[in-house]
Amino acid sequence: MLVGTVSNVFQYGADSIYYGSFFALISLSLSLLFGVMGLMNFAYGELIMAGAYTMFFTRSWGWLGMILMTVLIVTILSLLMELIAFRPVRNASPVVLLVTSFAVSYGIQQLAWTDVFGLAHRFDSTIGTGPQKGVEPYPWLTNQFDVGGVLISRLEIATWIITGVLLAGMVLLLKKTTLGIQLRASSEDFRMAQLTGVRANWVISAAFGITGVLAAAVAILYVLGTGAVAPDIGQGPLFVAFVGGVIGGLGSLPGAALGGFVLGAIINALSATLPITLKSHTQLFAFLVVIAILVLIPNGLVSIRGSAIRRLWRRVRRAPAPAEGAA
Amino acid sequence: MTALRRVEPAARVVWPPLALGAFLVVTWALVDGFGDVVYKDTAVRLFLTLIIVLGLQIFSGNSGVLSFGHIAFMAIGAYMSALLTIPPEIKQFTYLSMPSWLGYWILPAKLSPLEATLAGAGAATIFALITAAPIVRLAGVEAGIGTLALLVIVYVFDVQTSAITRGTSTQIGVPKTTTFVAVLVWALIFVAVAFAFKESRRGLRLRGSRENLRAARSVGVRVPIERAIAWVLSGFVVGVAGALYGHYFVTFGPDDFFFNQGFNIVLLTIAMLVVGGMTSVTGAVVGCYFITVIYEAFRRWEVNGLGGVTPPSGTANFVLAVILVVTLVLRPKGITGGREIPWPGDWSFTSLRRLARRAGPPGEQDAVAAESPK
Repeated sequence: MLVGTVSNVFQYGADSIYYGSFFALISLSLSLLFGVMGLMNFAYGELIMAGAYTMFFTRSWGWLGMILMTVLIVTILSLLMELIAFRPVRNASPVVLLVTSFAVSYGIQQLAWTDVFGLAHRFDSTIGTGPQKGVEPYPWLTNQFDVGGVLISRLEIATWIITGVLLAGMVLLLKKTTLGIQLRASSEDFRMAQLTGVRANWVISAAFGITGVLAAAVAILYVLGTGAVAPDIGQGPLFVAFVGGVIGGLGSLPGAALGGFVLGAIINALSATLPITLKSHTQLFAFLVVIAILVLIPNGLVSIRGSAIRRLWRRVRRAPAPAEGAA
Repeated sequence: MTALRRVEPAARVVWPPLALGAFLVVTWALVDGFGDVVYKDTAVRLFLTLIIVLGLQIFSGNSGVLSFGHIAFMAIGAYMSALLTIPPEIKQFTYLSMPSWLGYWILPAKLSPLEATLAGAGAATIFALITAAPIVRLAGVEAGIGTLALLVIVYVFDVQTSAITRGTSTQIGVPKTTTFVAVLVWALIFVAVAFAFKESRRGLRLRGSRENLRAARSVGVRVPIERAIAWVLSGFVVGVAGALYGHYFVTFGPDDFFFNQGFNIVLLTIAMLVVGGMTSVTGAVVGCYFITVIYEAFRRWEVNGLGGVTPPSGTANFVLAVILVVTLVLRPKGITGGREIPWPGDWSFTSLRRLARRAGPPGEQDAVAAESPK
């Protein structure tokens, strides 16, 4: 009995990290753009979608060619998005930026739904069962095996490792390179950074480029897991990652990554502990938790104003709210 | 002449809603007089979306706080109103597993269209009252996520609580009682309400908090209370839109009130408000017309073809996205720039003149215009 519960805990832990990895990667990219230019990028989901489609078209090239091509195409698309749509509205208000990103997202998604590439009729959003409907999962990646009572697949392990490598790479990039310093400076205060000689176009393009690489990674890991390819494939993970980013504290890069993992844990914990009749309402409770976090800890879990617990305690002691959320 | 002078101040105050109202009535008269069934359907949907956009304007436009959550009010209005109007003999069979404490008063209920609309809007208002406390404390992107969370909560409830909402199945037996005139009248009422709220003392305080939060607080504006009032009022407005929607489309399901593939109502209503200019009621009306007309024109082209050319299906949505981006690039503050319709005596054509100048060789004027703050 004890062994059972312990391995259960490990199972939930493993699953939480697996989901959390996706959310962390997406939240991180969203947070990067939000920090640098105040943009909540709806069109990020379409980058994932574009990655999934690229994989579909290159699925016969072997996994290495497929992965390289996906990274290349998604990164180029991300840079193009910035050049065509976001550069002209760069100085507009966040709401305008948000609506612009919605328009970009909407346009690209509609392009995928239409018959422009002669594809639409070939896809539906069901999980791929045949070669026509998506990328067939590699069995050696997705087969689960038993490690001390915990079921994991090679893909899960690969996801942990790739996420770990990408996160570590991001940390190195941000801490050790000139570009990283420029990015961090721009997140702090964009105008001031420009005054000290940081070139706006370069920094923002770089941020979009990094976002593209991360989106490609998410697309590859996601499609290898499920095999499904559909025009709205990016939307679900995107919403979840929005929320993860806010939980961690938008604009704070470590916070975003942490928020992704925390959200993965919340969703998993809720689906494990809720009584069976409420299980279908997991998302409902998860989003209630999100609202509670937003109201009680408005700056997220990681913030310059001290740890979340200390800020929460301060807030509880002095009921009238002292701090206003980053408006 | 002097008599005209004397009424001018009062006339200036009521001019924008009157002009907008006249515009709506003219639309209705033209479509009702000359349009076919397709045009009438388009116009009804135009007015329905207009009511939603007006509701959004009341909250987001005045407070500057973005909301993805208003479509949740719409869902509540539609479901409540439908539940109270479906004939009892149908409800007995479609809602077999409804809990008895609800079924006791919902199953035998049979309200008239107006009562049901008000009941639906009332339910939405109550939901707005409950949710006001957390939402008014949020601003910026946090508000966006918080309201998005509300929308998801209501959506998941609709989909999963099939005993009360029939889950993903569509409704059966909702009477089709929403008429063209009814949507027109409600739209007219809400144009007036949105304008009156904006110009009221509460609206002024809220607009003050939008322009400068700290300054507004320093002169004693209780921002959470002002925001809460706008939130609840807009909940009522959008609730009415939901009830009317339910009784127009008759078969609706949870996906009508969420991010769906074709006409994405959550984001397009926000886009309408922003493209029109979110700080004015005129902006709400202009944005709503602008997007609807473009979307419908291209959709019509897609279906019927023109001059032997038929674009592939989905073009309308794509063109809409492109036009949205272009409009926002050219006019980041919206088509109206957030202003109301100016009084006819104040109409000036400086912007036209500036455009004409710009067409000429680039001179000092352009440099100055480019330097001046937006």
